[in-house]
Amino acid sequence: MAFVSVSGVTKRFGTHVGVDDVSFTLDAGETVVLFGANGAGKTTLIRMLASLSRPTEGEIEIEGEPLVGGNAAVRSRLGVVAHETMLYEELTARENLRLHARLHDVDATVCDGLLETVGLADRGGERVSGFSHGMSKRVSLARALVHDPDLLLFDEPYTGLDQTSLKRVAAVLEDLEDRTVLAATHDLERGYRLADRALFMNDGRLVGDLETTAFEGASDVLEEYERRCTGGEPRAVTSATAVPTRSTAVGTGTESSGGPGDDGGPNDG
Amino acid sequence: MIGDYLRVVYTIARKDLLVESRSKQTTNAAFVFALLIIVVFSFVFGEEVGSRDVLARGALWLAVVFGGAVGMSHAVALEGKNEAIAGLLLAPVDRSAIYLGKVASSTVFITGIGLLSLGFVVVFLDYAFDMATLTTVLLVVPLAALGFSAVGVLLSILMLHSQLQESLLPVLLVPLVIPTILSGTALTAPGLSEGMTSAWFRILVTYDLLVLLAGWMTFEYIVEE
Repeated sequence: MAFVSVSGVTKRFGTHVGVDDVSFTLDAGETVVLFGANGAGKTTLIRMLASLSRPTEGEIEIEGEPLVGGNAAVRSRLGVVAHETMLYEELTARENLRLHARLHDVDATVCDGLLETVGLADRGGERVSGFSHGMSKRVSLARALVHDPDLLLFDEPYTGLDQTSLKRVAAVLEDLEDRTVLAATHDLERGYRLADRALFMNDGRLVGDLETTAFEGASDVLEEYERRCTGGEPRAVTSATAVPTRSTAVGTGTESSGGPGDDGGPNDG
Repeated sequence: MIGDYLRVVYTIARKDLLVESRSKQTTNAAFVFALLIIVVFSFVFGEEVGSRDVLARGALWLAVVFGGAVGMSHAVALEGKNEAIAGLLLAPVDRSAIYLGKVASSTVFITGIGLLSLGFVVVFLDYAFDMATLTTVLLVVPLAALGFSAVGVLLSILMLHSQLQESLLPVLLVPLVIPTILSGTALTAPGLSEGMTSAWFRILVTYDLLVLLAGWMTFEYIVEE
């Protein structure tokens, strides 16, 4: 059984379709990166997987358990790092982590270890309002790991980070080998290095699902990205031909109609 | 089970009050607003109003209602900042406990505004509450604050991402809490008969329970996109 199963998921905002009939599966321990232009529907998809948004159609399951808002037990298996840090600026970094530890019914002693992991052990007593974006993002990463989740969802984990934060976040992400990870990113180089598999989205649709072993380097990913996600034709190597594929429910990209920049939803980036 | 639920309610309420004690953003906005209402009342009416009771009650409840609305608007804006509320919603807890926690902190806050407004009324309107009225006021203000918060938290969360939140909230909130305002003003009137006092209390408590139940049942659906 797949660890995560996404079947025919669609999200509509009025007449606009943010995510259109997306299906894929994630195996336990797999790291999958979601590529797509701004407005492709990545954030909307991540928010549905995080149970923050209800699909208009389709189902999401984690080990066969449906992920609907009321299923608190399934939520305990999720860790989410989104665009926004989800932190209270008036609280210190440690207080923010302890708040989430209490809500997850986890011993608060893990918080200091996590602050150490993200390189903020000596700043834990400071309010988040005084932190840079990169530092806040690192606290947000620690927040997502407080309860040791099985499934980690990252939405643009590298965006807006300085070099120090970038290295820290990248190192933490690379250490998550035993977890199942789905990360949406524009950083093709880092995404390629991190991933076992790459999903490509365009105009709300999943237009490619490829093993990263199919690429010789990040430049190949860029080429694929441009072809699949910016309206061009996909190259000959597709999930249906030479490249090993994981999902059978993914289009080849030829049905993709939109160009870049279409709005995938109100929160999409 | 109930212990876990109450632990979440307490955690959320404590967090809200801690955040507010640090930022003082809501406190400043609401308390200054309440103070201004009462000071303006004292300037406008001065000694000319026949009944000081009416003046004092009017000023008190205006301050509570509009001070509370301003306070609630700011309090929920804090949840919108950095999308902090999403972090709460990701927790594996019954989401209605998050609602009750926010209602609890808001009730404490609005009760605080009410008590401070009471002091402002005494000082600026030179009005002395008799002991019986004062006792009733101290009982009625938290009950009114509870009903006010139960509706206010729901509305504020609904309008979290609306650019018109600050102006829309009082417009939508005040009509919905009319039973609270009517009960509050009636119960703080001097010389109310025992029968009427009991009837107004029943209305206030019933209204509180109904809106609390409605919020408790619907919060899950309101917060999910």
